[in-house]
Amino acid sequence: MLNKKVIFTFSPQNVEKPITYQLIKDYGLWVNILQAKFEPSLGGKLVLELRGEDEQIKEGLNFVRQIGVRIELLEQEVIWDEKKCIDCGACVSICPTGVLSLDKETFKLKFDYEKCIVCGNCVEACPLQAIKVTF
Amino acid sequence: MTIQRTYEEINIKIRSGKAVIVTAEEIIPIVKEKGIEKATEEIDVVTTGTFGPMCSSGAIINFGHSDPPIRMQKVWLNDVEAYAGLAAVDVYLGATQISESQGMEYGGAHVIEDLISGKKIKLKAISQGTDCYPRREIESYITKESINQAVLFNPRNGYQNYNVAVNTSGRKIYTYMGILLPDLGNASYSTSGQLSPLLNDPEFTTIGIGTRIFLGGAQGYIVWEGTQFYPQVIKDESGKSIHKGGTLAVIGDLKEMSTDYIRAATFKGYGVTLVVGIGIPIPILNSKIMKNAAVKDEDIWTEIIDYSFPHLIKPSLGRVNYKQLREGNITIRGKNVPTSPLSSYAKAREIAQRLKEEILRGKFLLQEPIQKFPKENKFKSLLEIR
Repeated sequence: MLNKKVIFTFSPQNVEKPITYQLIKDYGLWVNILQAKFEPSLGGKLVLELRGEDEQIKEGLNFVRQIGVRIELLEQEVIWDEKKCIDCGACVSICPTGVLSLDKETFKLKFDYEKCIVCGNCVEACPLQAIKVTF
Repeated sequence: MTIQRTYEEINIKIRSGKAVIVTAEEIIPIVKEKGIEKATEEIDVVTTGTFGPMCSSGAIINFGHSDPPIRMQKVWLNDVEAYAGLAAVDVYLGATQISESQGMEYGGAHVIEDLISGKKIKLKAISQGTDCYPRREIESYITKESINQAVLFNPRNGYQNYNVAVNTSGRKIYTYMGILLPDLGNASYSTSGQLSPLLNDPEFTTIGIGTRIFLGGAQGYIVWEGTQFYPQVIKDESGKSIHKGGTLAVIGDLKEMSTDYIRAATFKGYGVTLVVGIGIPIPILNSKIMKNAAVKDEDIWTEIIDYSFPHLIKPSLGRVNYKQLREGNITIRGKNVPTSPLSSYAKAREIAQRLKEEILRGKFLLQEPIQKFPKENKFKSLLEIR
């Protein structure tokens, strides 16, 4: 079983294709929608977490590519520069999934990468510019 | 018998390595266990700390004269303008001034941080030229070693207490209190509470003009009350006291400071500011001072203010204490709202600890204020001419 996070970028031509449905039904993938933003006249962006066998994911992504949707793999999504961080906590209340928290004892910042959905809220909230998103 | 101590007695103990010093956090369980009187007897000094964004900060710099000399009228450091309306090669570089080429990504605070870390800074200056200062422009590089003085002089730092900021509007807003999510989506606050210097001496009994402090990793001084100083205590219907408006003007040698305790920051959509580390020792001269220095987060109250209201007087949504804020969630209008500190409690603790160690090593002596702050002050607003 593999677990991959991907970003699909849609153009106005392919924005209406029901690809999430097809990935589940035709390729047997487990799909979790992390973020979705669509504007039918402009296109859209879909951040997904896909789970399945290596072969299933490969075939599913091939199918998406053929439709004309641009695919980016999220290898390392959010980078937290601990050296730059001053542990203020400005980021903790704007994180929608509880990735960021202050330790109850040390009051130092904790970063739970597993829960991250790459929304980017923390990037703009960090006054020290210690958090970056890389695609 | 009630204990009375003088600054001199405490300094003698510090010099002989016999002073007993604890942080404003460590004193809480000691007072709880032993009581105020016994704690007063045993403890000589309580150290405090804070590390938060303080916009009213900046540096006085003297570059030294060039040959032929110039009377600098406009000056830029890494493209950030510094105020040059002083003598020929003196400037005041404000922390919040933004870069003319990079905008909010870089500003006066970043120049200050770069100077402290020893980086080269590009200097550009222009002038109209005079008989005694014929040069009309100069470009050069400076470092903290190449210049005569670099003095951090911050007119308003160390706010005693501050509002909790929330947003009841339907749109995300970008403020000096950070990003505030719509519909009470989050709340931000900015003091170190029970560790905060002016909350541990709320009546300014030991903190005044001349007090020696920890400033940005070096030893500095309080030079005046801070701008907008408002020492009066506000009492609400239930008798809760809110200390609101004590502030400090502070000074120290920037060349001796460390980027561990002075950092530049950018609040998106708002601008540049300087994160300043300040620690103040409180001499335990008597049990009243000890009682104040043992203050706990749950006894320090502040007001929840709606920052979506774009006017000077903003509506209050109630009161909350720092224990509730530090737990990570508060309740406003029945809604559970996550909280964010903007001032680092971990760093505040580190500063109080560091100050304690410096005093224990005999490297930091206590200075009695040479003048006290005013007991009251008016908070004036600016009226428009119509």
